[in-house]
Amino acid sequence: MILKHGWKALGAAILIYTFVAGLLIPLKTGVQSIIPQSIQSGRNVSFRVQGYNTQYLAGAPEMRAWLKMDDDHVLAAFQILVQNDRELKVGFQIPFFLPTDKKVQDFTLIIDNPVDGAHILPSAVFVTQDSINMALAKMYWPPEKIEGLHEKAGISFPFRNILAETIRNTYYHVPLWFAMILLFLGAVFYSGRHLFRLSYRNKITTGEDRMTLDDDRMSLSLIRTGVLFGILGLLTGMVWAKNTWGAYWSGDIKQNMTAICLLIYMAYFVLRQAYEDPEQRARIASVYALFAFAAMIPLLFVIPRLTDSLHPGNGGNPAMGGEDLDNTMRMVFYPAIIGWTLLGLWMSQISFRIERLKERWLESGG
Amino acid sequence: MQLIREIGFLFQKELTLEMRQKYALGGILLYVLSTVYVVYISFVRVEPDHWNTLYWIIILFASVNAVARSFLQEHSGRQLYYYTLANPLAVLLAKILYNFLLLLFLSLLTLGAYSVVAGYPIQQPGPFLWALVLGSLGFSIALTFVSAIASRATNTSTLMAILSLPLLIPILATLIRLAKASFIPKAGMEVPIKSDLYILAGIDLLLLGAAMMLFSFLWRD
Repeated sequence: MILKHGWKALGAAILIYTFVAGLLIPLKTGVQSIIPQSIQSGRNVSFRVQGYNTQYLAGAPEMRAWLKMDDDHVLAAFQILVQNDRELKVGFQIPFFLPTDKKVQDFTLIIDNPVDGAHILPSAVFVTQDSINMALAKMYWPPEKIEGLHEKAGISFPFRNILAETIRNTYYHVPLWFAMILLFLGAVFYSGRHLFRLSYRNKITTGEDRMTLDDDRMSLSLIRTGVLFGILGLLTGMVWAKNTWGAYWSGDIKQNMTAICLLIYMAYFVLRQAYEDPEQRARIASVYALFAFAAMIPLLFVIPRLTDSLHPGNGGNPAMGGEDLDNTMRMVFYPAIIGWTLLGLWMSQISFRIERLKERWLESGG
Repeated sequence: MQLIREIGFLFQKELTLEMRQKYALGGILLYVLSTVYVVYISFVRVEPDHWNTLYWIIILFASVNAVARSFLQEHSGRQLYYYTLANPLAVLLAKILYNFLLLLFLSLLTLGAYSVVAGYPIQQPGPFLWALVLGSLGFSIALTFVSAIASRATNTSTLMAILSLPLLIPILATLIRLAKASFIPKAGMEVPIKSDLYILAGIDLLLLGAAMMLFSFLWRD
């Protein structure tokens, strides 16, 4: 009883956990914007900094800020004015010469206080210098270290500048794809088993006069759910793409390839309709399911890796893991994969039962 | 050895059959030539990018038409006779081989006719030819197998198009990229042509393996 139905309850519980944790856990503090973004060297500049999820008023007494070029060259702010919880005015005295041989140098902004913890904006400010003088620059940039950074208390997801709150889509868009691939793999297993039993039966004729078509039905149900998950993954991805890349469809290689992959599997349904005889249909559909999966391997795993893509992990974008997926996110992300897969299996099982009932209903004369 | 001899005989059979029914081959050739001419009169001057796209579209549809009949032209009773005479695998491989050569011939012919009317933008003929060879092989494997699947159904030609076009897109995408790379002279090479050729060969091998494994379930009807 527990084994028979427990996995469904487990799947539902995991998904509820994913939705609750994934949607309710707050994001870390972050820097949303800074004005101005590009300046001339040798000036006193007052920057307006917009924080995200910050409580600057509470953290005001110990507020600190830096512009950082690299680990050895750091410039501390000489003046910080807290406007409100989300806004700061930070004054920096930029020396005339920069310790670099480039005309334009980007600096990372770091803000720290005990309440919000440290938060940064990479390549926040671009400083232009008129002439390069490394020797003089050394005098202006004494070695300074950033020490004693704070961590924000409590559980939170990382803040990424372009993603912001949409980072939560990682728990829905990505696991849907994983679940889709796993469901298709399941379909490959059942199709293969159907064909294997078929050839086995051909060798030694058993007493049964009819071959069971259950494996083929299961394979059909898994592909159905897989295609549904694929469409959902595509839709969640499109909404996300609109938000971060600026268009629902940007012709990204992974978008195109998955659209084709869905076409291949939709052809599977058309193929099934083309055959009248159930046994012939089961056999040919199984063959096609296996062939389609073989054709899909380069589509999903090989070609997208060799072409530039906007997706993480392609064309110089950071990959999954590393910076993008920290431990808090893993605590939701991995269960989400399991949860969606279990839900997919549950849905497939129901579809499988419907198929079998339909068959019996037809046999009994409907 | 036996298998290779059988493939040889069956290949000859395919060739003889083709020579007896010249209208099928003639139809495909005429299709290719007239499409090329339509492209010429509607564009007059063809940019390399358009050249590439149109070339592969012509090849794609010519291939689907050329291979679709490989399992259809003969009566299913006679097919069964072949399967009892020879190894079914030999039947499939002979058809794949025959279609491969047919498609290679078609794409070279199209290339010739197309170059005459629409210009010849290819700077590196070597990789382009390799792409044609591997592409024809991949098309031949996928289309022959799909034709075997579709041959038993009622509405064959529609099914053939629905099943084969999505399956061919990975090959086609690689081919288009390869062709584009071969338009750049060797000196300014930045696109890695070799890795694309390896991918193409990999896809071919994968499809060939899958087709050979699964064919034994298809022919018994």
